[in-house]
Amino acid sequence: MNKAFKIGIFENEEKFISSIKSLQEKHFSIYDVYTPYPIHEVFHLLKRKSRLPTAAYFFGLFAIIAVLAFLYYTSVLDWPIVYGGKPFNSFPSFIVVTIVLTIFTVTIASLAAFSARSGLYPGKENTIFDHRSTDDKFVIVVNTDTLDNLESGKLVTLMQEEGAVEVLDKEYESINA
Amino acid sequence: MKEQSTVSTTFRIISLTLIVIGATSFLAGLFSDSQRTWANYLIVNYYFLSLAMGAAFFYTLQSISQSGWSSAFKRIPEAMMAYIPFAAVLFLLLYFGMHDIYHWTHSEAVASDQVLQHKSAYLNTPFFILRMVICFALWVLFTWLLRKTSLQEDHAGPDNIMVLFNKSELYSKVFIFIFAITFSFSAFDWIMSIDAHWYSTLFALKNVVAAFLHGVSIITLIVFILFRRGYFPFLNKYHLHDFSRYIFMLSIVWGYFWFAQFMIIWYGNIPEETVYYYVRWQEGWKVLFFLEIGLNWALPFLILLPVKTSRNIKVITVVILFLIIGQYIDLFVQIVPGTTGLLRFGWIEAGMLLGFAGLFALIVATALSKAKLIPPGHPYLEESLNHKF
Repeated sequence: MNKAFKIGIFENEEKFISSIKSLQEKHFSIYDVYTPYPIHEVFHLLKRKSRLPTAAYFFGLFAIIAVLAFLYYTSVLDWPIVYGGKPFNSFPSFIVVTIVLTIFTVTIASLAAFSARSGLYPGKENTIFDHRSTDDKFVIVVNTDTLDNLESGKLVTLMQEEGAVEVLDKEYESINA
Repeated sequence: MKEQSTVSTTFRIISLTLIVIGATSFLAGLFSDSQRTWANYLIVNYYFLSLAMGAAFFYTLQSISQSGWSSAFKRIPEAMMAYIPFAAVLFLLLYFGMHDIYHWTHSEAVASDQVLQHKSAYLNTPFFILRMVICFALWVLFTWLLRKTSLQEDHAGPDNIMVLFNKSELYSKVFIFIFAITFSFSAFDWIMSIDAHWYSTLFALKNVVAAFLHGVSIITLIVFILFRRGYFPFLNKYHLHDFSRYIFMLSIVWGYFWFAQFMIIWYGNIPEETVYYYVRWQEGWKVLFFLEIGLNWALPFLILLPVKTSRNIKVITVVILFLIIGQYIDLFVQIVPGTTGLLRFGWIEAGMLLGFAGLFALIVATALSKAKLIPPGHPYLEESLNHKF
């Protein structure tokens, strides 16, 4: 069975946010929203929680320990060489390498964690509800499968009252998101 | 909402008492141990000047970036900038103590020292005083101009408000270049020249960042104190987060420069350079040396890392207290080993620190009470009152 959606297009952030608020007041469940740039408030409004910062913190902790262990292993245990009269375990000179490698590890690991969690991989074809959300428009998507015609009508009027420049009606066979 | 802060009589009496304590211990110290007293005079003097200069740097950055969130708090850096003329007078008094602090002012030492002879074109008393006068003249002039423009904004009509706003931005742009150059020279002159044989090109940058870091922490502390007394009722978690992000970011930058200076010298291992750290790694000093990096970098970094703690007024206050102690230790470790070399914190140090703190508090509080606490004319005030992100 096809899935039906109402897609509201908004031109600015304020109208978009106030529209989300009034949709939630009327108990319409929002399927998803798309914005040209990240907005913290939307994140809180939709009650989404992210554990990515916590994950990044532990990646960082892991990276620091791993890099220092690696440097200790290479320069003290495996192949000790005296550089300019320094001790084998010359900790201050390890710091710079540790900082750089930690940043690198956290970046790559966070990207991997984010991709794995949200099911992204190279070459994946996502369903894009409205292409203008990748440009300068703010998009609210509501699933209308469980709504009758009267309620759908109310939904469209509500979004238009809140300042949607357009409300589209689209049906998809399957969603890749 | 209370519009203007006041200086209560109790506050005035306490700060005047502190000033008297400071002056007494300074004078008594001059007779008992003049070198120790002058070295300590330089520490506390530079300490409070760096707070004022850090505030000035913060202020200029806010105007240049046209930032809205901080516009309601801009009277506080302005009030701290009011300390600079007083610091100028106090610093010129250092002329009488130069012989006790700076090794290169001794003509017999210079005569038998090739390095000092080579540097004497730069390191000599008249030029030193001249540089000091030029630096202070520029700082006093520009902070006065910034303050004047800001006060004019309060009474400006809608047509010339943007003129004044752009004017203060222009002054800030000029001042930030002057600040970078003159404050670097001052750090070289006043602190680095104590160890006249030693030099580090990162030294000035580290001290500029230290001034900025501790200036911002004191601005934040004053905001919190006023908030407790019922001013700034609009202060929300986003303001707190922005203040703590400043402290967090600057403590990382400070730690970066501190470590960069240390590591290059440690790695290069050239005796002329390592002697600076060798002295500071002796018994007793080593504790302060590590306490310094711990208080100024490690603790603020770890404490302010989570979002929850960086929006908590009590946690930020504790971090600021660490930083206040950290800056004193930082200056103590930079100044004392090259002068007396005595690791001692007695009544001279404590008394003078209290005296200067009283003077600084009195000047800042008086300057704060002279203008409306929340600038009504600032074009971005509304953004600051309803700040969120």
